This record gives sequence, structure tokens and C-alpha cells, in this order.
Amino acid sequence: MLAETIVWLAAIILPARLRDWGRAMVVELATIERPGAALAFALGCLAGALRQTVSSHLLHPNQALEGTSVMQQGSSLLRRPRRLAALCAIGATGLGLAYMNAAGAPLSYLAINAAALAIGLLAVGVLTEAGRLWRIAGGAVGVALACMILFTALFGVSAEGATRWISAGGLLLQPALFLVPAVALGFARARDSVSLLAVLIAALALALQPDRAMAGALAAGMAALALARPGRGVLVALGAALAAFTATLVRADASPAMPFVDQIFYSSFAVHPLAGFAVLAGAALMLVPAIAGYIRDSDHRPIYAVFGAVWLAVILAAALGNYPTPLVGYSGSAILGYLISLLGLPPYAATRSIGRDGAAVQSEPEEQQPNLRASLTIAG
Amino acid sequence: MVRNRTLSPPARTILAIMADAGSRWLHGYDLCRQGRVKSGTLYPLLIRLEEQGYLEAEWQVPAEPGRPPRHAYRLTATGRALARANPPLGLGAVASDPQGKPA
Repeated sequence: MLAETIVWLAAIILPARLRDWGRAMVVELATIERPGAALAFALGCLAGALRQTVSSHLLHPNQALEGTSVMQQGSSLLRRPRRLAALCAIGATGLGLAYMNAAGAPLSYLAINAAALAIGLLAVGVLTEAGRLWRIAGGAVGVALACMILFTALFGVSAEGATRWISAGGLLLQPALFLVPAVALGFARARDSVSLLAVLIAALALALQPDRAMAGALAAGMAALALARPGRGVLVALGAALAAFTATLVRADASPAMPFVDQIFYSSFAVHPLAGFAVLAGAALMLVPAIAGYIRDSDHRPIYAVFGAVWLAVILAAALGNYPTPLVGYSGSAILGYLISLLGLPPYAATRSIGRDGAAVQSEPEEQQPNLRASLTIAG
Repeated sequence: MVRNRTLSPPARTILAIMADAGSRWLHGYDLCRQGRVKSGTLYPLLIRLEEQGYLEAEWQVPAEPGRPPRHAYRLTATGRALARANPPLGLGAVASDPQGKPA
């Protein structure tokens, strides 16, 4: 089942022109009887598919892909922030799987991370289809998510003085890790009273748990939003987030480091320098959608700033304390959180180019303006 | 025209196995096992070989009923020439670049 999920994932991330090869991997897996050999085959296929996808999109400018140049394909990817973030999530998780495999992590750890990636991608697909509903009920959804974080603080599983987890099917999930980014981005998009209420509830919950890393992430996100788009509501949100973060600093956090979860920015280098670089590269990949979007899509800069700030704070917390290392460490919650948070990014990036008279020309993605070429021809 | 890269040891091994098979079709996992090559190395290699015209691939219905079609591969004539020019390095052959000139 696990091997099938992994090879299925490999098949779907391959470029469209290589779909046959993806099907070939899936069918070939079915012929392998030994579970260990099947899992090794599937993981290899995923690694190969990742390399092939990166190669097809970014690394071979002389290789034609589906009738367009690689540079056009890369540019197209940058105009689709959610797709770029999904690819970065796949890449970072893959690098994390490679590190954990090299470090001798239990097979179940790899399986859970891979499953979280598959489930998260599926959830993104489903929630994208429900986009209109999301836009209508966005604020209320944010409040519901924040209430789930508060529920965890009040009734969740406690360890070492912190109440951050819920038990689901024998697994310990950390709801704040996959809900706080969504709450932050929901507020960044709406900035209304309902989404502000969601931030306030989340801040209270994080102070109660306490969860210093996610409180810091919420504060970082609100600080980024305050710099990009200041306003009374944003400042209230920032104040609440900072108060929550301060409250977590007052209480001692005695959580010990868990293998393959915490402190892996350092321990991975002890396994092998390549393992260490894989972890660093995976962490860096997580920030690519924010950086690329901030540079190219000025209309949505506050959203990219919040996305980048939240995940940078989570990464820094993992580097500085005993907190889960997102995507590259053993943490299905972080993988789900990253994928859910990419729904807060715009589906298409509006980009600017220089017109014939040297003035900046705002261009919308071709999907939204099917007659763009005709209008440019007339204007020219 | 796509420039050929210097072939890696796994690539030479796979080419040798497929050249030995002649016109017989081979499957992915069999190549992994015979060549002791991981699937993450094999499939990008096969994709590259097919795109460069050295390999042909097709879906074949297996002999056992009820099984799905399986992807099978064999070298083209240019693929067999490439294999001859790039033998596995462990066989005492001189390492050469894809044009057949000594390194």
C-alpha cells in the first residue's frame, strides 16, 4: 500500500509528456512480490521522477518540452504559485525522505511522511475545487481552524508541560503546525473582523499550550503583514501574536529533542555531509514560492510575505530549539500544514512587463484573458 | 541536436544488458535486478535513451491473463551501436567519449 502510494506520487509529478513512464512504474511495481524490494523500487521511482521533473522544468534550456522552450515552462510555473509551492513541497519532502533513509530512520517514519504528502496533495486538489465555497466562508473557516487549535490546548495530549498534540489512530498530530499557517494566510487575504477573530483565538491557544515555535511563526507572519499592509486590524493581530509569543517565552519549554524530528539541521551532517545538504536544500525549497512570488507578483506581496515569514520562523525555531523541522524531518503535521497553507497563495500571479513605450504593463495570466494576443496586436 | 553526455557506469551496464538481449524486449524491474541499478537511476536513463532515439518502448500484453499491459524496452540500431561504443568499464575496455574516441 505504501509502495503503491509512493509510486503513484512519482507518476503524477512527472511532466505530462512522460505520463506513459509514470504508468510504466506503477505497473512494474505490481510485478514485485517482496515488500522491501517494492518499497525500494517505489522510492527510487519517486527520486527519479523528482529529478526528471526538475530537469524538465528548469535545467535543460536546449531541450524542447511539449512544443515550448524550458524557459517558457519555467516562467509558466512561476505564474502558478500554488503549483510551484506543491512542487517545492514534494521536493523538500523527498529530500527529507532521503535524509531519513540515510540516517536509518524507521521505515514507518518515511511511510508517514510520504502518506502525509499524498494526503496533503489530495486535500489541496479537493479544496481547490471547493474554491468558491472557500472564498464565501473563508473567515468562518479560519475561526473554526483556530478553535481546533484552542481545543488542542484545552483537551489535547500533554508532554513535558506542553499540550500541543492530539491522538488520531495511534498517531500524534500537532494541529498548530498545520493550522496556524492557514489562519495567518486567511487573515492576510481577508483582513476582516472574522479572520482577525481567528488570529486572536489562535494566539490565545498558542499561549495556553504553550507552543513557542508556532507562536513565533504567527507573530512573524503578522509582522510581515504589518510591514506590507499596515492597518488597525493588522496591528491588533500583531499585538495579540506578540503577546502570545511573549507568554510562551515566560514559560520554560523542557521538551527534549526527538530523533529525526528536532535538531536535524545539525545531526544530519553527522550522518553524512550530503544528508546535511539535503536537509538544508529542502528547507530552502520551502521558501522559494514566497521569494519568487514576492519578486514577480507585486499585487500579492503581503500574502507572499506572510507565507515566507511564517515558514521561515518555523524553520528558525527548528534550528534554534527542540521543535519539529518542517518537511525534511519526521513530521506529517508540518507537511500537511505546508500544503494546506499553499491554498492561501493566489492561484495565478499577476506579472508586469515593459511595454513598447517603456512603461510598465500589467499582464494577467493567459487563462484569464483569452483574447490577450488579439488586443496586443490591435494596440501595437 | 541534443548533445550526448559521457555515459555513466550504470548507463553502460544497462546498454550492455540490452545489447546482449538483442531484439528481445526487457522490462524495468528486470533491468534493475540484472544491472544492479536502482529504479531512480534506471528510469531517467531509459527516458533519455528513448528521447535520443537509442531505445524503443512499447506496451505489451503479458502472457498471463488478467494482468495489465507492461512497458517493455529494447535498443534500436543506433542504440546497439552506442552500446558497442560504450562497453561497461569493468571489462578492460578503454573508456571513451560518446563519439568513440579514446578519453
